[in-house]
Amino acid sequence: MSASLTLAWRLLRGGGRRGWLASGLTVATVAVTTGLLLFALAGNLAFGQRADREAWRAPKAAAQDAVAVEAVAPQYATVGGATQRITDVRLAALKPGAPAPPGAPGFPRPGRTYVSPALADLLKRMPADQLADRFGTVAGTLGDAALTRPGELVAVTGAKPSELPVRGGGADLGDQDGAYEPTPIAGFAGRTSDQAVSYQLLTALATVLLVVPLLVFGGAAARLTVARRDQRLAALRLVGATPRQVVAMTTAEAVLTGVLGAVVGAAAYAASLPLISRISLGGGTWFVSDLWVGVLPLLGVLAGVPLLVGVSALAGLRRVVVSPLGVARRQTPKAMTVLRLAGFVAVLVGFAVAGRGGIAIALFFLGASFLALTLIGPWVVGVLGRITAATARSPQRLLAGRRLVDDPKSAWRTVSGVALTGFIAGFLAMVPSFATDSGPSEPGRLTIVTTADGLPHAESAARQRLAAAHVPARVTAGAHGKTRAMTVRVDGGAAEINRAKTALADIVPGHAPTSDADNRITDRVLMGDIGTGTRIVLIASFLVAIASAAITGVSSVLDRRQTYALLRLAGTPLRVLNRARRLETLIPLVVMGGGAILTGMFPSLLFGLAGMSMSGVVTLLICVACGFGGVIAASALSRPVLRAVTTEPVPRPD
Amino acid sequence: MTGPSETTVLAGTGLVKRFGPTVALAGVDIAVRAGGSVAIMGPSGSGKSTLLHCLAGIMRPDDGAVTLLGQRIDTLNENRRSELRRTRFGFLFQFGQLLPELPADENVALPLMLDGVPAQRAVQQARTWFGPLGLGGMERRRPGELSGGQAQRVALARALVSGPSVIFADEPTGALDQATGHDTMRLLVEAARHHGASLILVTHDQRVAAWCDQVVEVRDGRLTQEVAA
Repeated sequence: MSASLTLAWRLLRGGGRRGWLASGLTVATVAVTTGLLLFALAGNLAFGQRADREAWRAPKAAAQDAVAVEAVAPQYATVGGATQRITDVRLAALKPGAPAPPGAPGFPRPGRTYVSPALADLLKRMPADQLADRFGTVAGTLGDAALTRPGELVAVTGAKPSELPVRGGGADLGDQDGAYEPTPIAGFAGRTSDQAVSYQLLTALATVLLVVPLLVFGGAAARLTVARRDQRLAALRLVGATPRQVVAMTTAEAVLTGVLGAVVGAAAYAASLPLISRISLGGGTWFVSDLWVGVLPLLGVLAGVPLLVGVSALAGLRRVVVSPLGVARRQTPKAMTVLRLAGFVAVLVGFAVAGRGGIAIALFFLGASFLALTLIGPWVVGVLGRITAATARSPQRLLAGRRLVDDPKSAWRTVSGVALTGFIAGFLAMVPSFATDSGPSEPGRLTIVTTADGLPHAESAARQRLAAAHVPARVTAGAHGKTRAMTVRVDGGAAEINRAKTALADIVPGHAPTSDADNRITDRVLMGDIGTGTRIVLIASFLVAIASAAITGVSSVLDRRQTYALLRLAGTPLRVLNRARRLETLIPLVVMGGGAILTGMFPSLLFGLAGMSMSGVVTLLICVACGFGGVIAASALSRPVLRAVTTEPVPRPD
Repeated sequence: MTGPSETTVLAGTGLVKRFGPTVALAGVDIAVRAGGSVAIMGPSGSGKSTLLHCLAGIMRPDDGAVTLLGQRIDTLNENRRSELRRTRFGFLFQFGQLLPELPADENVALPLMLDGVPAQRAVQQARTWFGPLGLGGMERRRPGELSGGQAQRVALARALVSGPSVIFADEPTGALDQATGHDTMRLLVEAARHHGASLILVTHDQRVAAWCDQVVEVRDGRLTQEVAA
């Protein structure tokens, strides 16, 4: 083994300029794969971290041994035309020695408030009767442990138990995400909010969509190494190296390159964390520490990626190991079994039958149909090649068709990235963007939800407070779903509305006065985040897809340089070779890209998300344009390489 | 040395080619008669392949002239020279000249298709070469399914299919055993003669060179002697 390793290292080192170029390409590809994998992992873990960070604000009712009462209500203030969401936590100690909430200097005494640094700044900037009067006297600052993200606006105010009357167990009343009635608690462990669960599921979905193209990409990189080496390894077999030695050497070489690539990718991930932390999701940017995957997962990726590279390299080498002449003597490739088609249909049927059985099953089938697409891809490319060759009238079509039949997997690899991205775009095109600004929107109309019992008291208190604050407003009461609500119509602009909200801030614990626009802000943020997430996934997949197309295009020319050079010597015009090369990519791209988009639309239809959204269609069209443009541009990159290899005057064996 | 005459098809006059400080050809004069055959011999690195490449329009000489039927071809641009190689010349190399993904008949048909002959007709025309060259029944085989000698005969069919004036062969038997090499040379010389094509052959094997009418030797970039065939 050590001899194999030494020889592998010597071969790698002595590869010359071309060898280094190929190894460099592999390292770069593996680095990109590792970096993106780590980010996908970081995204999942980061939303988990965020869910943990905000768990204490989703109180878990204690049946006994309650030490405090907690109520949470989102407050809203209009600052410079934009609505700011402030998480208003009220705490009343039931026993002495109640524990301090996370990040707070202690348990707040009644009338005292701890604020986050960003809220402290905002309080200084705004008139007290528009914001600060909603809270108690500021007694300290909350640390990062209290916050889900930098810049978050949070206030933790102490109250007397009588000010936070516990009624029914502190459920999320459903009028607003993140609002909780006074709830007796035994500690600040809390629970994961529904919103956090939604974000975690969406991130998992994005990961499924990203990981498959990444693995295909990583595998392509490994095979690129092998493609450049297989003739040399066949020569080693000819001089008597045993299959085992060849396997060991190839694995060693691929893994060495893979380790280097993985380390570079991990370093790039670590270096770009501060930049990535500025991406705004879930209402704001990130704590860098939340985006750090941790040592063990990092080591897992650093070990797993080179392993994947090694396994892919071995799969690519199988032919050489079987026969020393395996590379030099190409034979009619075995037609790929129709089983692949059957597998693909089975997955789609399975999706149709069981796909609605739950989010986990749906995610599984989404991933499975994605994988099935990669299985059926080479088969379809082979069929396309046969049709193209049989109907060819020009030499370039004949060459392209025969090449597709000869190595459908390689042709598929060139376009697979874009096809898989087409799948994502097709899937997302069918997910309608929920109307975020529909419904009545009357900025001065504030609603406070309460119970039938509490309504008369709240109504009179509201009138008194508004009068005392000199806010011109009318107060009315009415039904609000299963509960009751008080409606306040404020005459005036943002300042008056802020003052009304301030005056009525704690009139019903756990229910702050909110406008229709305030109530929709969470949905709006979520939809905005889905848009951002979609763009991130699509941009990442496109980068991967186009880089993949460029790498496979160049390596395909390099692999066939001798044949190209000889054809050119015999008078074949460069344009014929170029057209054949382009057709090799374009034919599968058009058919498979289109097929993938349709496959992507299929699960969306199943989810009952029918009805194409305008933004989805625009995204899809942009994707089609970027995908085709990108692959054609990437394919054009191999043109100078083709010119270079065909101008070498002497046909030489490599 | 061999000089141009009335029946000369291809001639090189005062050919000079340098690669950096290395002089590969140092003023070579050579001419090939219509239907004649010339073997270029010489040790490795003597410049014999460079001479063949200059004559075939693959390389441009730094000095001197190459004429085909009295017309200068070394001054043509790359596209014109490509066209010339495709239509007037045929090539036979030691290895790797067949496209591995095309069946034998389509490999042979390729030059015709490149000249605009419809695919079906080109393949039919290509197949007529298989019987005479002893390749009957191998039309749909791919290069990987042919023996070395068979592959070389397919390559010969491809070199002949467009009716070239000159066939260039660079060590065509270099990768074959003696008996197969002998058969291949016989077929090459007979086919060239039968179709009125001239043959320029590079080899360092005396027995292969013996198939040609004329044998010349290149040493240090010069034709040092003309060896009687």
